[in-house]
Amino acid sequence: MDKTIMVYTLIITVGAYIGSLFLNRKVPSPLTHPVFVSTSLIIFVLILSNIHYKEYEGTKDMLSFFLGPATVGIAVPLYQNRAILFRNIIPSFAGVIAGSIVSITATVLMLKGLHLSSELIRSMSLKTITTPMAVEVASIIHGDTILTAVFVVITGMLGAMTGPWIMNKMGIHNPLSRGLALGVQAHGIGTAQAALEGRLQAAIAGVAMGVNGIFVSIMAPIIIPWITK
Amino acid sequence: MKRKVTTVVRIAIQIVFLYSLNELGNFAVEAFHLPIPGTLIGLLILFILLSAKVLPLQWVEEASSLLLRHLSFFFIPIAVGLMSYGDLLLHQGWLLFLLILISLWIGIYTTGKVSQFLVREKESNQE
Repeated sequence: MDKTIMVYTLIITVGAYIGSLFLNRKVPSPLTHPVFVSTSLIIFVLILSNIHYKEYEGTKDMLSFFLGPATVGIAVPLYQNRAILFRNIIPSFAGVIAGSIVSITATVLMLKGLHLSSELIRSMSLKTITTPMAVEVASIIHGDTILTAVFVVITGMLGAMTGPWIMNKMGIHNPLSRGLALGVQAHGIGTAQAALEGRLQAAIAGVAMGVNGIFVSIMAPIIIPWITK
Repeated sequence: MKRKVTTVVRIAIQIVFLYSLNELGNFAVEAFHLPIPGTLIGLLILFILLSAKVLPLQWVEEASSLLLRHLSFFFIPIAVGLMSYGDLLLHQGWLLFLLILISLWIGIYTTGKVSQFLVREKESNQE
């Protein structure tokens, strides 16, 4: 019985993704971003078929398995673009750390100002780091791990959907800067988006995602419990 | 057809290799109580192996570019988890959505402007 549901949900998931890729190619727009379209479609079908998220977890675990090897694989574009990265090491690090601190501070201040629960603040403060890392850190700082993962993916999705557009508006045209911003704010999904702009952007986004991940993983357990006391 | 099968097998082997580096990273984190995620150690090990020319690029290139191209796919099932938070979404959904968007744009602006400014400074100094 469980196996049938898993095969069914796996087919729905793969089908939704392939379909959304085609849609995005035909109608390129932030609103047709594959993650956004697939997620909405899958939730819709699961509710219609009366399948609870618990029963979907087999498929989730199976696909999440690939996040680890995929993250390790970022070493390849990183290696291929190492010369440009090393030449711009200071602007890159400064951009990543500044963006990371400003964005997390803004998040925590807004949530505190609205008097939302400290568990919500803890879970949301990790939203810019990639899922395998965010989940580990969330359990250290007693956040809700599932909620953290969901915030991470929504952030990545919104970052990939609106990032290129808002950067055009803001006058951020340097390919290095565009890759950095996407990697810091939208982690893996941003890196995939950056890959559409070019291999350099993808490599830089991968680096930004990694550096930001290390930075937040080290700082969050020290600072977040203290400000959400 | 035969060619397709060998490509699939080759990519599968490469993924298994990337996965073992990931596990090696996790193991190192546990053994030495490192405060960083295991996948990053795996990434670092692979980068060092490639830089030291111990590992030829072709051994991991195909799998890495395939996984990277479809990286967002693997996040989709996690986003579907949203359906378990219907209550939270109903009450604070729009607010949280807006909060994420604002902090996201502030962060993009900061990273983009700071790095772009420093890159230009550097380039004008070199001229």
